[in-house]
Amino acid sequence: MRYRKILAMALSFAMVFSMAACGNKGGDTQTAGGSGNAGDAGETGGDEGNAGEDTSTPEADGAQASGDATDITLWTYPIGSWGDSATVDGLIANFNAVHPEINVTVEYLDYTNGDDQINTAIEGGKAPDIVLEGPERLVANWGAKGLMADLSDLWTDDAKAAIYDSVENACQDSNGVFYEYPLCMTAHTMAINRDVFEAADALQYLDEENRTWTTENFQKAVKAVYDSGQTNVGAVYCSGQGGDQGTRALINNLYGGTFTNPEHTEYTANSPENIKALELLNSMDGINFDASIAGGDEINLFCNGTLAMAFCWNVSQEKNNLENISFDVLPMAFPTESGDPQLCGGIWGFGIFNNGDDAKIAAAKTFIDFMANDETQVAESVKASSYWPVKDLGNIYEGDELMTEYATFIPFMGDYYQVVSGWAEARTAWWNMLQKVGSGTDVTEAVEEFVTVSNEAAQAN
Amino acid sequence: MAKKDSMSRALMRRETIAGYAFMFPSLIFFVGFVIYPMVQCVFTSLFDSTMNREDIFIGLANYVELFQDSVFLGALKNTFVIVIVSVPVVCIFSLWVSSVIYNLHGAACSAFRCIFYLPVVTGSVAVTVVWKWMFNNYYGIFNYLGTSTGILEKNINWLGDERYALGCIILILLTTSVGQPIVLYVSALNNVDQSLVEAAEVDGATKFQCFWRIKWQQIMPTTLYILVITTINSFQCFALIQLLTSGGPNHSTDTIMYYIYYNAFKLYRYGYGNAMGVVLAIIIAILSAVQFKMAKTD
Repeated sequence: MRYRKILAMALSFAMVFSMAACGNKGGDTQTAGGSGNAGDAGETGGDEGNAGEDTSTPEADGAQASGDATDITLWTYPIGSWGDSATVDGLIANFNAVHPEINVTVEYLDYTNGDDQINTAIEGGKAPDIVLEGPERLVANWGAKGLMADLSDLWTDDAKAAIYDSVENACQDSNGVFYEYPLCMTAHTMAINRDVFEAADALQYLDEENRTWTTENFQKAVKAVYDSGQTNVGAVYCSGQGGDQGTRALINNLYGGTFTNPEHTEYTANSPENIKALELLNSMDGINFDASIAGGDEINLFCNGTLAMAFCWNVSQEKNNLENISFDVLPMAFPTESGDPQLCGGIWGFGIFNNGDDAKIAAAKTFIDFMANDETQVAESVKASSYWPVKDLGNIYEGDELMTEYATFIPFMGDYYQVVSGWAEARTAWWNMLQKVGSGTDVTEAVEEFVTVSNEAAQAN
Repeated sequence: MAKKDSMSRALMRRETIAGYAFMFPSLIFFVGFVIYPMVQCVFTSLFDSTMNREDIFIGLANYVELFQDSVFLGALKNTFVIVIVSVPVVCIFSLWVSSVIYNLHGAACSAFRCIFYLPVVTGSVAVTVVWKWMFNNYYGIFNYLGTSTGILEKNINWLGDERYALGCIILILLTTSVGQPIVLYVSALNNVDQSLVEAAEVDGATKFQCFWRIKWQQIMPTTLYILVITTINSFQCFALIQLLTSGGPNHSTDTIMYYIYYNAFKLYRYGYGNAMGVVLAIIIAILSAVQFKMAKTD
């Protein structure tokens, strides 16, 4: 009996200590990745706890062994194949072939938990050196909080001349400090079911060559499709924030409204143009304000033919749904009165967390410069994202019909207003506002409430 | 005699030490992952605690803001509606089903228990996805049956219309909540002393009298347990809201749990979210105490 108790206790303690040991090992991994330096590089290189994520190369290991290596960490959100370790390993191997003195360890984030992981790392003083994401996080969030390093020295005159103006504006804060160095971009479009439009004789209302249409022709096309028996033409989806850029782009484009002022300091969605657009959509047969679906649901409904148009669309949607679509998809710019669509988009690039180590910051800048500027590398870095370059690199997707087709929309990229303060609150307030409009609340009242809530949040931040 | 006492004390001491030693590992986890977060929650609710900023002590300001926040008050109302509707329905329905099936033959009783318990063991996400499909505005089965039988003139946007959305949530919650009470009631009813029931029947008691005077009294502890867990589960309704409606339309399905999640993990307002958590815990504690009191048990 006594021996059994002793054995049971020993097992209990063994369990406790094994758990503690596991936890400790995890902690070490984080530390080595997050704030390791040349002095403990050997430990980092030797830690195989995350073999799948450890992108150390033999060259880098060799440099580490000599004690000259600088260890930096790169955390990437899943931007195309930048979320895929095999691809990123290849990119980093290219980098290490030129810079063996810098050892890059990668951690792959997802959009469900990525923000929490980074915020937790920041709180724990173990933020990554480099993060690959967009201006709403790099500039408007972490940059505004003073957590990021100034990248102005990467923004040389040549870089400024080469990179599109809208991208340059998005990568800096209102004081002109750059917190992002961009790599790639895409423009979000809408799409129509070409077969349904053709059957309804509605193709006459759009410019298939330039992929544009006027607000008046948009109304005529929706009416023609609706009259042909397709009663669900489009949906202003508003059950959540998923894909909300589509509804914002639709409403802003119809009569030339804006979401924020040009300085991105104030929400302006209560402009007469936006109110007119909302009233128009609310009055149109075939366009439903649907509070039971979000962007992802709308895409599914479009792909299965339930809806004749999708407001939440881009090249990735077409690629991801190729097998589910049995009709001809025609990507389109959002309809405008002026004929000058302003599309929302994504701009992704690198930011550097200021962890107080100049050597790491310098190494991180070297990495960014190589990935985004090196002539032999930049096209491959951009192609890994599945999007387009932020400067003219020629047609990097030569021979790829789909990518070439969607490249048409890049010049329509509008103001990148997502860097405005109070963004999280505003996104929620936006779909709540759409739900109110859809359930009969006066448009002006709903929009005024949205702007009040959002501007209060912007000021509070 | 003294030697015997000494041995007995030594034995007790060893037993006690062994008991504590066995408790020690789980105690560490309980203190670390339950007690400490609870204390931290109350403490943080007194601060303006936002991610990546210094915490600022603000006393009870979060609590004052809570009761001026129309969305929180709406969420509180919705939560109470869910509790008030679902708790009695779950208890009465599961008691009724259990009364019918508990004395069936073994296989039949097991089959019914399995059927009603299935939604409990099925992943909540899977259940929710199926319900979302059934309620779909465009091709959901409810709309299909309704329109094809002429009950509905046109499709109803069940989850997108504030008149129906909360009702749909409650309906789904009911289906996932009755499984465990049915299993518990079947077990409790099987444990009722049959000799008392037979004696009462011999004395001329009706079926209702037998149930009310004998069975009901004996299954009261089970009823109390079911009341408490159903109340707590209803108060903590979150996954359904998150997966189906995100609190919409027009906040008509916002619940306290969802609003806590939104503030703490979307807006990173930990202090404010924790204040809501404290209020929710107090409400649940008070209601549980009332339920215990009404059932005259401690």
